[in-house]
Amino acid sequence: MRYFLQRLLQFAIVFFLVTFGVMVFMRIGMNKPGDPARTMLGGLVPDDKAAAVNKQYHLNDNLFSQYFFWLTKMFRGDFGISVQQNVTVANYMKGRVLVTFFLGFYSLLWALIIAVPVAVYQAYRRDSNFDRAGNLFSFLFVSLPALVLAPFIIQLFVIRLGWFPRISEKVMPWQDLGAHFKNFFLPVLVLTLPLAAIFSRLLRADIVQTLQSDFITLASAKGVPPSRVLWTHALRNSLFSLLSSVGVQLGAIVGGALVVEQYFTMKGMGALLLTSILSKDLFVVQSVTAIVVAVVSLANLLIDLLYAVIDPRIRHARALT
Amino acid sequence: MSISIQAATRTSDGPLLQLEDVRTHFQTPRGLVRAVDGVSLTLERGKALGIVGESGSGKTILSRSIMGLLPTRGTIRQGSIRFEGREIGGLSRRAMRDVWGKEMAMIFQDPMTSLNPLMKIGAQIAEPLRIHLDMSRSDAWATAERLMQDVRIPAPGRRLRQYPHELSGGMRQRIMIAIAMACGPTLLLADEPTTALDVTVQAQILDLLGEQRRDRNMSLLLVTHDLGVVAGHTDEIGVMYGGKLVEMAPTGELFANMKMPYTEALLQSIPKLADASHTRLNVIGGRPPDLVNPPIGCRFSPRCPYVQDRCREEEPPLVPTVEDPRHTYACWYPVGSPEYHETKARRQREAEVAA
Amino acid sequence: MTTAIAATEATRDAEKVKPARKQRHLGWMFGTAWLVVLSVCALFANQLPFIRTYDAKIKIAGKAKGYNFGPGWTAWLGTDNSSHDVFARCIYGARQTLIIGIGATIIGLTVGGLLGVIAGYYRGWVDRVVSVIVDCLLAMPALLLALLLIQRTDQIKETITALGWLTRTEEITVTLGVLAIAPFARIVRAQTLGLRERDFVLAARSLGAKSQRVIWREIMPNLVPAMVTVAVTGLGILIAAEGTLAFLGLGVPRPQTWGTMIDAARDDLSKAWWATMFPCLFLFLTVLSFNFIGDHLARKFDIREAAV
Repeated sequence: MRYFLQRLLQFAIVFFLVTFGVMVFMRIGMNKPGDPARTMLGGLVPDDKAAAVNKQYHLNDNLFSQYFFWLTKMFRGDFGISVQQNVTVANYMKGRVLVTFFLGFYSLLWALIIAVPVAVYQAYRRDSNFDRAGNLFSFLFVSLPALVLAPFIIQLFVIRLGWFPRISEKVMPWQDLGAHFKNFFLPVLVLTLPLAAIFSRLLRADIVQTLQSDFITLASAKGVPPSRVLWTHALRNSLFSLLSSVGVQLGAIVGGALVVEQYFTMKGMGALLLTSILSKDLFVVQSVTAIVVAVVSLANLLIDLLYAVIDPRIRHARALT
Repeated sequence: MSISIQAATRTSDGPLLQLEDVRTHFQTPRGLVRAVDGVSLTLERGKALGIVGESGSGKTILSRSIMGLLPTRGTIRQGSIRFEGREIGGLSRRAMRDVWGKEMAMIFQDPMTSLNPLMKIGAQIAEPLRIHLDMSRSDAWATAERLMQDVRIPAPGRRLRQYPHELSGGMRQRIMIAIAMACGPTLLLADEPTTALDVTVQAQILDLLGEQRRDRNMSLLLVTHDLGVVAGHTDEIGVMYGGKLVEMAPTGELFANMKMPYTEALLQSIPKLADASHTRLNVIGGRPPDLVNPPIGCRFSPRCPYVQDRCREEEPPLVPTVEDPRHTYACWYPVGSPEYHETKARRQREAEVAA
Repeated sequence: MTTAIAATEATRDAEKVKPARKQRHLGWMFGTAWLVVLSVCALFANQLPFIRTYDAKIKIAGKAKGYNFGPGWTAWLGTDNSSHDVFARCIYGARQTLIIGIGATIIGLTVGGLLGVIAGYYRGWVDRVVSVIVDCLLAMPALLLALLLIQRTDQIKETITALGWLTRTEEITVTLGVLAIAPFARIVRAQTLGLRERDFVLAARSLGAKSQRVIWREIMPNLVPAMVTVAVTGLGILIAAEGTLAFLGLGVPRPQTWGTMIDAARDDLSKAWWATMFPCLFLFLTVLSFNFIGDHLARKFDIREAAV
């Protein structure tokens, strides 16, 4: 429990440091009063208008009070305003969060669904042809970032076969399930394959190692069938690298979504982030970054908890300290 | 419940385990490793057999060969292993699965690494019960608790729900024994069951094994490098060297009348309480033989203090002694023979001269 | 007691009899070959006769039309929208990409390695401070951080003229270098923690060697294998990251890298697949090569954390 509190504190420190850092960074080089507003509005605005915007959003205060102004509003659910789009950040994100959520969720899910059985079977039949083929494929896909994989997939499934639309519309599952999958299939595929490759490589290596432990031999000597030895005894003892990798890859999925949303012209958070960064939409960048950082860090915190659920040794070590 | 039934209905005709010319070789990049190279032996029901030898003598591989717990790739298994009158030497792992845990069980050397760290003790004991005897979860756990009582674990009800890391090494080895005995096997193979434990705990574990064996009418194959361990806990002892049995005899007979110089050397390497505290231990010089290119002639000849020319040329066969047909040995000039005494006397003179 | 576990070793050897040795050798040999050929072409692009210049246009009857040629004899990998030779552009892109990747790796390795060694060696509050920095860097998705850094540096250059000399190439290099700091620091720290307790380091310390000396003479040399391995794998990742940044519009304007080429041609995929696919292929093969070599090194030096 104390360990968990420690992690929570660590999370809080990182969150505040990163969000503050982002804000400070966004203000560097803006020496003259009115600069932030001018930047957001595109430079060619009269001074009095810039001054008004600055005043409205406390942009002339010192950095700390600006930060607290922004932070307290964040916690109240007010993410600020996109000055360029002239909407609140919350409304701006509203339709887009789900697109990226589905992208990330499906690709993570599918990557695990593919990677786990493949890795288990590879480790079980080590050095077999299946294992070798698996290794080769995972090598290939690890080396295929979304940027490179997407054109190949589009060329094959859209241009040659014509099975899927070139542009992925935002169709939600409760609207039309079939269309939802049809529109999400390719973008998810692009994100899934490299992810599955990374996961299966890590998991295979760990299971191979676990299979050499004495307790696995003992399980066999008890007459436990191989499937149970693999899935119950070996897999559970080999999940650690996989779990921590899931945590690390969450950030990579955000990056991947950025690229995939470009390729399939999807209106998701990635596209929103890209636009707002390139067009210097200060509040959007700040708030969205904060949300992304919070989600990724909280997910990692959750994974930490999961370790403890799986391994009683961690649980008990935590109880002691 | 089914444990007692199983033990009672055991038929008692014929030996339980019979090995004939068992060979287990491994293909390695270095060449063929002849880990077990022609071992024949018989184990009667309810008896305990000790297999003694240095590391690398093939004793562990022998016990694994009996179990059939060997890597499938690159392994060559030959010879006949008859268990309960049934040939099991050539059976696949799949076919052996019904035997493992149910009729034959194994205890490993290191209790610290042999239990699944993520599984409750109770689940680990209950596992074979559920698989082999189709017990329900609650029955299996209840039986597990009784088994833990049998192996003298205090507060078994509480321990059932604990994890391996919460138990000491001795406790864990008791759990291993409980697991091995769960389905009431007829043969228990124990591979160095006490090596990893504290000296004080060693004796307790050995006594427990002996007691359980008698209660359940099990046979025991005890593999160890320590003649002291097998002395009080076995009916018969086989000494292995270089993948072969080099001497075999009922326990009392072996200690009274050992024939193989190697057995003698093993015995001398055990420190005795009566010795002064600074007595130098007798160490067997040299290394265990290379199992890829074993020495020509007697495999012990390069290290044998009483070696003669013949030993380096011809391999001695396993022959019975005159006094006791159950006592066999493989040596041209056994302990007690004229050549033995002659060489020993000469060695002593040389040693005195050197001093 | 060298033979202590001869028997168990025998079983383990037996399990290792026929691994896919050949396949693995093929992998890293292919990787090395590809990188050597690519580097030679990139280095001597101006001298080699079969590589057109960066700006050369292949015209038909004096006119430069988009996607005139598919892959063929005239232009091996076809021509792009503005009639440039895709092959030549891929080679010039390789030069740029490799320079950026190597530069970023050096930055990441120096800063990250130093932080890692210091944190791992001194422990205590130094370690805690470094850990917080590393955690902060890792909390941001890498691509997001890169976008922010580059975009902001661009703008800061306008206001702070002292930074005006920074070229776009240098900006990207530094940015990617910053991204590489955290993972490098983490791995080096873990390695240092292990080395610190090893006998030869303890011996040096108990003999009264100064910390600096221990770090430079005892720990650093032993970190080299891990660092080289991680650097090679990291190089592959950084090159992919550079491609992604360029694809998102934050690339080097000239010479363009693969990412920019992919972005420019991707809308015409159905019309002229070659203009997108060949830069993709170059990027893929290069990343694959670094992965193959990195994996080979990791095996050789027995390092498990090569997956950054």
